[in-house]
Amino acid sequence: MTLPQVPILPILPELILTLFGIAVMLFDPFTAKPHKSWLSSLAFIGVLAALAGNVLLLAAEGEYYNGMIIVDSFSVFFNFLFLIIAGLSILASRQYLVREGVNHSEYYGLLLFATVGMCFMGGANELIMIFIGLEITSISTYVLAGFRRTDLKSNEAAIKYFLLGSFATAFLLYGIALMYGATHTTHLSQISSALLTGRIDLRLVLAGTALMMVGFSFKVATAPFQIWTPDVYEGAPIPVTGWMSVGPKAAGFAAFLRVFFVALPALDQKWFWVLWVSSVLTMTIGNTAAMLQSNIKRMLAYSSIAHAGYILVAFAALTPNGIASIMFYLLAYSVMNLGAFAVISAWSLSGERRVTIDEFAGLGYRQPWLAAAFTVFLLGLTGIPLTAGFTGKFFMFRAAINSKLYWLTIIALLNSAASLYYYLRPTIAMYMREPGESGRTSAPQDSAPLQISMATKVVIAVSVLAVFYLGLFPSTILDFAQSSAFLVH
Amino acid sequence: MDFFRQHILSITTFTPLVGAFLLLFVGKENKNAIRWIANLFGFLGLLVSLPLWFWYNRADGGFQFIERHEWIKTIGANYSLGADGISLLLILLTTVLGAIAILSSWTAIEMRVKEYYIFLLLLQVGMIGVFCSLDFFLFYVFWEVMLVPMYFLIGVWGSDRRLYSAIKFFLYTLVGSVVMLLGILVLYFHMPEGQRTFDYIQIMNYLHASPLASNIARFVWLAFFLGFAIKVPMFPFHTWLPDAHTDAPTAGSVILAGVLLKMGTYGFIRFSLPLLPNESQYFKGMMAALAIIGIVYGALVAMMQKDWKRLVAYSSVSHLGFVMLGMFCFNPNGVNGSVLQMINHGISTGGLFLIVGLVYERRHTRMISEYSGLSHVMPVYATYFMIIMLSSLGLPLLNGFIGEFTILQGAFQVSYTWAAFAVSGIILGAAYLLWLYQRTMFGEITNEKNKTLKDLNFREVATLFPLVVLALWIGIYPKPFFEILERPVNKVVATVQPDKFTVDSMGNLIVPDKAKANPLPASVPAGTEAAAAIQRDLPTTQSATPGVEKK
Amino acid sequence: MVPLNYFLILAAILFCLGVIGFVMKRNLITMFMSIELMLNSVNLTFVAFSRHINVLSGQIFVFFVMVIAAAEAAVGLAIIVAFYRNRESLNVDEVDRMKL
Repeated sequence: MTLPQVPILPILPELILTLFGIAVMLFDPFTAKPHKSWLSSLAFIGVLAALAGNVLLLAAEGEYYNGMIIVDSFSVFFNFLFLIIAGLSILASRQYLVREGVNHSEYYGLLLFATVGMCFMGGANELIMIFIGLEITSISTYVLAGFRRTDLKSNEAAIKYFLLGSFATAFLLYGIALMYGATHTTHLSQISSALLTGRIDLRLVLAGTALMMVGFSFKVATAPFQIWTPDVYEGAPIPVTGWMSVGPKAAGFAAFLRVFFVALPALDQKWFWVLWVSSVLTMTIGNTAAMLQSNIKRMLAYSSIAHAGYILVAFAALTPNGIASIMFYLLAYSVMNLGAFAVISAWSLSGERRVTIDEFAGLGYRQPWLAAAFTVFLLGLTGIPLTAGFTGKFFMFRAAINSKLYWLTIIALLNSAASLYYYLRPTIAMYMREPGESGRTSAPQDSAPLQISMATKVVIAVSVLAVFYLGLFPSTILDFAQSSAFLVH
Repeated sequence: MDFFRQHILSITTFTPLVGAFLLLFVGKENKNAIRWIANLFGFLGLLVSLPLWFWYNRADGGFQFIERHEWIKTIGANYSLGADGISLLLILLTTVLGAIAILSSWTAIEMRVKEYYIFLLLLQVGMIGVFCSLDFFLFYVFWEVMLVPMYFLIGVWGSDRRLYSAIKFFLYTLVGSVVMLLGILVLYFHMPEGQRTFDYIQIMNYLHASPLASNIARFVWLAFFLGFAIKVPMFPFHTWLPDAHTDAPTAGSVILAGVLLKMGTYGFIRFSLPLLPNESQYFKGMMAALAIIGIVYGALVAMMQKDWKRLVAYSSVSHLGFVMLGMFCFNPNGVNGSVLQMINHGISTGGLFLIVGLVYERRHTRMISEYSGLSHVMPVYATYFMIIMLSSLGLPLLNGFIGEFTILQGAFQVSYTWAAFAVSGIILGAAYLLWLYQRTMFGEITNEKNKTLKDLNFREVATLFPLVVLALWIGIYPKPFFEILERPVNKVVATVQPDKFTVDSMGNLIVPDKAKANPLPASVPAGTEAAAAIQRDLPTTQSATPGVEKK
Repeated sequence: MVPLNYFLILAAILFCLGVIGFVMKRNLITMFMSIELMLNSVNLTFVAFSRHINVLSGQIFVFFVMVIAAAEAAVGLAIIVAFYRNRESLNVDEVDRMKL
């Protein structure tokens, strides 16, 4: 008896990440406390190795493991995105973990495992695979959100994320089960062809679609399933919040896009209006609530909701252009948001103090470069030209106009303009107010010079460069996204 | 030299950027080094832009100095620059005012000097870029990017309610521009698939060959209107202007009034009119009404102001109303006057803001009631103020007169009512400016603090002197300016009113035979004759400036 | 033989009970058990469909779901324990350090 040949190439990045994740956790007990930082370097090397492995994937396009995994440029693009996010997050977390006294290497292990799950979501060609990827990501994230285990806020973030996240997963899973019952398969393209035959129970399919939509909406935090976001983002450790706002969200969108465009195009007129309404609600709720926040993490949480709304605008365009622009935007949003959170984490004090917007007063003159970088990220999130945020939004709205979604685009554009109001508030605090003007008296040790580690500096510098690169020369990435979007559509 | 000639627009645009970049590496304690570098690059920016004036071929009304490089191929966006007479004058205005604004800040800014000059230079890049972009995408990038430095200039170095004003300015203009973006995208998707581009000339040609459906075209026109009208600002959208102007630092106000507002009027003449001529015709009445309301309302409100700078700010609303009125006459006189008045307004209102800034720097108040009898202690200052004030109110031999008179001529050809309202605006303008001058410069010095005020030093004179020279030049011999404007303006006019005016490919008006009998169009082959007539025959033009004579 | 619909309706009822339990109950453990109930109702659906269409895959999915539910339970309970240590309470109304 011979064992069947199992190719490992299609899941090479995932395998590498898993091995490194296990290695990080195994080495932890044998590493003395002052040397724990090298484990984060190990994790970072793992990400680099996975990136190299991902390059090899480009030559191995096709379906594998009975169609459970697909390797195409769409999945390769998302793998790149997830790995970049993971790499930047690892670097951005180092200083923070030491400062907060939670420098346990499980953090890096979990981050790598979550990335494995995200890569599976991007490459899944089948509903159960998506479910598994989603759960690998979510379970790791639950722990990461509660990583400051003695802090009540962090506990609460973990509990809320855990309860609502598994609640949403159950919906998704129920949707998958109904879809399976109706079409007798969970393979995406087989579902699509089954739907085209017309010999299926449409009620089951619609119920399944709706339930899956609920599940995905939870994961990407779009209205009306966004309520968990602000609390979880506020309570989770800063680097985790930054990572959560881009990584699992991008993975959710990757799976969302693939399921709806590959498996369910036959029903697109039915879910189009759901997307339309959800998009309007998401943008408007996100932006309105963000204006009222005083905690910067909470503000960025609401802003992240608003950005999911903009992405839905391009989603509702239902075209390859729309998909390509979403892919581009997810990348753009990731670098901007990770950069912004890296700045917040550098400026905050141990115990996560100094995270209200007013407390950014004076940053502009104490740390001009840090403040300038933060300004770039905020303007990028607003969508001011020369930044990735502008090109990203431009491509998305262009796709929407191309599909004649005039009203939706107008609402999105006005929302985007209104978002300026709250993105400017940190800049006002940083440049236009003196420290102490907000009425708070800060302890003397708070005004000690900031120590920013090299790793954090690298993250911020890379993000700034990426923001400008994507804002000035978006062609390469956009063309790649465009070519892969046609595969999905 | 050849390289310079081919890339003069890029070089003009990005020279200030080089300066801003260099400033990054100067230590912030080195305030004087920072000032020297900034001034050097301000002046250099002016210097490299000057050849435009000489190299520009006045016989060709099309775009010149064209540069074109592929940028984002997938969506058809190019880096393409070019200038015709209209943009040329505005570019030069920008470089002149930019250099002056930088020079004027030498002592006014003591805090965060480095950041200040970096933002000022970046602002310069954005503004020049707006005036020479021939690609919608590029245009939009410059158009929005320039908001950022202006926001910081107002917010960090402004006075009183600077935060409020800065945010209001940014939000207002951003709302306008995102709606404009929608219009741009609709035009873009009007192009057939495969040929889609943001190239201005290609879009224009395609639009003329196959126009949009009229309801969509109106929508697009209104989208552009919102973007530009907020910037101008036209009457209902003007509320950001007094705040922003008043609270901005002096150099910021000079740039705001001198150049930024022109971006709106430039937008109308460059995009709305040639791209959507029928809709421009359709909305002509509305535009004229808004312009006239702006003229009268701006003047009346200016008269009520207690704050010197606010008064000048409201006078801008009034003057820009003139520009818009002239433009929507759609005849060569009106449009020529309109463009020239943009330049004039830049010179005289820019100058007025400098004038306010000079005393503000000395006394740190802008209340008119705080000042009186300044001419006793500051005679040089009073003289410059008088010339600039007179140029702003349109005294013959000074620039404002030429612009306003040409606009009035254009308005008369369209409607006597328009012209009558416009004239009333001039009278009111004379009233509030002369009253301001009388209150601040004449009479006894009632305030002790004013007795020891120092008169202008050399640097301060150097900021005002070029403006006075320009004002006199345009006032006495405007022919070179009209020569530059003539053909591009003819082209615009012929696009909007093809039944009345036709042009050849170079932009020369072709006068149809039957029209020769009709004195109206024939008398206006160019603004040059009108302007020449004005100088020959001054007494006949008194009616245009009765306010001056009364005093 | 019991018709397919019976299973489906039973599963739907169980799922709804889970949802109601999750929304109504204030005890963290009970809420968590409600989620488990929802997952198990999905398992029932999978098995029912699998049997109905005579394909084994549905039953295999159930194993996946069970494994994942176990992992989720392990992590979830650990989180709840951590919260309990800090707060000495399992009432969800006391998860209130941040305004909603």
